[in-house]
Amino acid sequence: MQADERTQWVPAAVSTDILDGTVVPAALPTGPIAVWRTASGELHANGDRCPHRGMRLSHGFVRGNSLSCIYHGWRYGRDGGCEHIPAHPGLEPPKSINCGPLPVAEANGVVWVAAQAPEEAPAEIEGFEALKSMLFCATPAAIAEAAGGALKTELGGTPAHLVTAERTPSETFVVALVPTGTDVASKLAAATALEALRRVTESAT
Amino acid sequence: MILYDYILSPSCYKVRLLASLLGVKLELRAVDFHPGREHKGDELLALNPAGSIPILVDGEDVLTESAAILSYIAAKHGQNWLATSDAGEVGAQQQWLSFSHRLTSALGGARLVEMLHFPGDLAALQEAGIAALRELEAALFARRLTGQTFLVGDRITIADIACFPYVALAPDGSVSLDPYASIRIWMRAIRAQPRFIEMPGIHRLHELAPDPLAGDA
Repeated sequence: MQADERTQWVPAAVSTDILDGTVVPAALPTGPIAVWRTASGELHANGDRCPHRGMRLSHGFVRGNSLSCIYHGWRYGRDGGCEHIPAHPGLEPPKSINCGPLPVAEANGVVWVAAQAPEEAPAEIEGFEALKSMLFCATPAAIAEAAGGALKTELGGTPAHLVTAERTPSETFVVALVPTGTDVASKLAAATALEALRRVTESAT
Repeated sequence: MILYDYILSPSCYKVRLLASLLGVKLELRAVDFHPGREHKGDELLALNPAGSIPILVDGEDVLTESAAILSYIAAKHGQNWLATSDAGEVGAQQQWLSFSHRLTSALGGARLVEMLHFPGDLAALQEAGIAALRELEAALFARRLTGQTFLVGDRITIADIACFPYVALAPDGSVSLDPYASIRIWMRAIRAQPRFIEMPGIHRLHELAPDPLAGDA
C-alpha cells in the first residue's frame, strides 16, 4: 500500500449499524479492523487483533470506555493502550501493549477509517445519508458499470450514491446513500434495488 | 419433559435455549452423537425412526422435529412466544420455521463437513448458506426500518430461536458473519434476553454482567 493510500478515508460501516457499547468487524486495505463505540457512543477503531494471542477484538465486548478481548479479557482504552490484564490484576500493563488506534470520522452516516491521519475530513455528499451496507463479490469498477456507469445512480426510483471500498480483489464493501428524509417505503424499495444490483453485478463477474 | 440432547447440536440447543428463556426445567439425557452414533442405535431408533436428535418426551408425547418441539414448549409455557391468531403473524412464523430448515441443511451441513468431517460438497453448502444469510439480512433490515428487532410481530418468538443457532455458528462452517450488520444486531438482542444460555461457540454478552473491576475503580 502506497503512503498516499494510507492517508485516505475508507468507508468501514454504517453509523447506525454500530450501537453504543458494541464492537463490529470491518476492514482496511491494510487488514481487518475492529470499530466500536463506548457506552456513551464515542466512536473508535483499531486493528482487529489482540496483541496478546491474536484473537479478533471484534469478537470482544465493550464496557464503559474500554474494549475487552473475548479470549483472556485484556482490556484496551480509547488510546488503544492496554488498561488491564485479568490474570495479573496487580500489574500496570506496559505502554508498549497497544492494539493500534486508527483515525476515524463520521460523515453522511458512514463511518470512515484511515490507516494514517488524512489531512482533511471525509468529503460530505450534501443532502444524503447512509441507508445500508452490503458486501458485493465484485470489483468497484464492475459495480459502477452495473449501476449505469457511475456510482451516482438511482435505486428503486430514489436518487442514490454508492460509496465503495475494495476489500479483497474479489470483494467490495458498498454503502448506499439516499436523500436525507427519504420515507420508509422508498428506503425499502432502494434496499431491494440494491440487492438486485448485487445480483446483476455478481452474475456478470 | 425429557430432552435427548447433544451439547454440540444447534438443534438441541434451540430447545435448551427456549426452555431456559421460559424458565422451564428439562430433564437432559446426553446422547453420544459423535463418535458413538448413539442416535442410530436401537434404543433411540425405537423412539425416533428418523435417527435424529433432539427428541422430546413428555408423558405420551414424543416429538422429534425441533420446530415442533419449540412450538410445543411455547404452547405449554409461553403463549406469547407463538404467533397470535393474526394471519400475518401466523404466516411469518411458519415462513421462518421452514426457513430455519434451510439454515440447518446449508450452514449446519457446512459445519458438519468442517467440524466432524462428514461427507458433503462444502462449497455448495457454503454458497447455499450465504444465500440464506443474505435473505435473512435483507428481512431483518426491513424489520429495522419499521422499528422492529425480531422476525415476527413486535416481540421475540420461537421464529427467532429456530433461526438463531445455525446463524450464530455459521463460522464453524467457514462462512463469515462479518458482512451482516442487521443479523449482528438481531443476534445481540437475542443474546441480551434474560436467562439466555450459551453453547460451545455461542457465548453470552459479558458486558451485561457486573464489571469485576468496578469494585476497585
